[in-house]
Amino acid sequence: MLSMKVDLEHLSRLACLELTEEEKDLLPAQMEKIIDWVGQLSSLATGEEEEEASPGFTLRLQEDEIQPSLPQAEVLVMAPDKQGDFVKVPRVLKEK
Amino acid sequence: MNYPELGLREAVDLVRQGQLKAAEIVESYISHIESTDGKIRAFLTTTFDRALARAREIDGKKEKGRLAGAVVAVKDNIVTRGIRTTCGSRILENFVPPYDATVVERLEAEDAIIIGKTNLDEFAMGSSTENSAFFPTRNPWDPERVPGGSSGGSAAAVAALEAMAALGSDTGGSVRQPAAFCGIVGLKPTYGRVSRYGLVAFASSLDQIGPLTRSVEDCALITSVMAGFDARDSTCAEIPVPDYSADLREIPGRIKVGLLGETSLKGLHPEVAASYLRIQEMLAGLGLEIVHLDFPSWEVALPCYYIIAPSEASSNLARYDGVRYGLRIEAGELADMYVKTRTAGFGSEVKRRILLGTFALSSGYYDAYYVKASRARRAIAGELKAAFDRVDFILTPTTPEPAFRLGEKQDPLAMYLQDYFTVGASLAGIPGLSIPCGLTTDGLPLGLQILSPHFSEARLFKFAFLLENNIKFKNNMYGINNRGRRKNEN
Repeated sequence: MLSMKVDLEHLSRLACLELTEEEKDLLPAQMEKIIDWVGQLSSLATGEEEEEASPGFTLRLQEDEIQPSLPQAEVLVMAPDKQGDFVKVPRVLKEK
Repeated sequence: MNYPELGLREAVDLVRQGQLKAAEIVESYISHIESTDGKIRAFLTTTFDRALARAREIDGKKEKGRLAGAVVAVKDNIVTRGIRTTCGSRILENFVPPYDATVVERLEAEDAIIIGKTNLDEFAMGSSTENSAFFPTRNPWDPERVPGGSSGGSAAAVAALEAMAALGSDTGGSVRQPAAFCGIVGLKPTYGRVSRYGLVAFASSLDQIGPLTRSVEDCALITSVMAGFDARDSTCAEIPVPDYSADLREIPGRIKVGLLGETSLKGLHPEVAASYLRIQEMLAGLGLEIVHLDFPSWEVALPCYYIIAPSEASSNLARYDGVRYGLRIEAGELADMYVKTRTAGFGSEVKRRILLGTFALSSGYYDAYYVKASRARRAIAGELKAAFDRVDFILTPTTPEPAFRLGEKQDPLAMYLQDYFTVGASLAGIPGLSIPCGLTTDGLPLGLQILSPHFSEARLFKFAFLLENNIKFKNNMYGINNRGRRKNEN
């Protein structure tokens, strides 16, 4: 595996995070060190086995039935902002 | 009578026989916690009034449950209806869940009493409980040292006799490592044995809820109540649950024990290595057959874990966006609100892991990191499976060193190395149980990890009970001996 300069700006945009000045100082070196370290994995020869983890037991599909959900009023209590029976959020689209 | 001294089994028996009131036990715990927890800080939230009310209800019942009067603490990433559940994070600081986790429902249905919610590394990411957004928890054996993590509050509460037992969660060692650091018993059950419904997700293919207790018997009893099929967790196995605490004295047949070869033990703290050798002598003294095993993949289990767990975390933690619950930092537009909320709400280790996971899953790196790690995971699981064709149990130290000092590990990578012995079982989905196995010359507890095949908890508990009775570890917290344990030995 390759050692590379981590493009933190790109990653933080993908992760919806902003970095503080301190994090901008510390994180690049930390991340590169961690990524180099996990890169040891490339030394392990692995076949083309299925990559999905298997739980080791049979899972059962459930019937597609309507079940009661949590009471709407109790769930809405936790919403930071609401209007009527709806969660309220700021404008979704930017103005031109 | 100082009721916190009573072991869980002993207390439950007395309450069920009507010889002791659950309310008296709870009152005694409240006063013990009030005098002790200022030094330990195991709890984020205590639920004293609720616990007392529950205890009085139980005292009035004719038919009492299997855990009647058991005083239990719950890690604060397991949701509790009407009780604040923070995950040790600012982003959920004021979150009061509208439902109970399945494990909480099951414990309360058997009349266990929840005394409070315990501290943890934020979103269970860490090995010292220093990553809690609120405050660090201290190790009852030495308050200058960490209790381990991420279930550090749960482990410290049990060790300091502030609870008879506690629930924790284990993704890469978060029950077993703090159990070892605090001189108690901790189980990560087989993946799928215990429902994850209501456990706030960190890495869904690895997370399991497990108990932390003062004895193997208590651990077996509480696991019997927690485990079993739950339609609300699609990865929960439909496999019957026996009473694990019955017939613990039965020796589980002819036992072959696998021990790690020298290569897997290099770089260990000398007292951990010495303790492991003493265990080997003890096993030989018991007449058990010992097989030395080498695990070539063991070396890469840790890097494999630190790709898979952050990848899953980066996906799971995408839900914290300030829309439906939790912290919201207002902004003029939705996308800005997401960013501001997450930036203010997450601590630095959580951000580091989200970024690491985002990296491993991002275009151009996915095959080299995530796919490679998933294949390595299969290889590691295969190696353990092959080992269990030769032996019944594998014993390892639980941790590479005893409890370290607060602030000692500033480098994130140094902290990750704590999980060296524990991540193998997590990746393979097999159970791992840590029992205390002795003290260092400084008086710090050490843990012994016992691994066994998928869904073999019944045999695992029997073998652990045998070892426990031969190791004769004493919880000397505050000069109080563990009476429940002493009784079991007779």
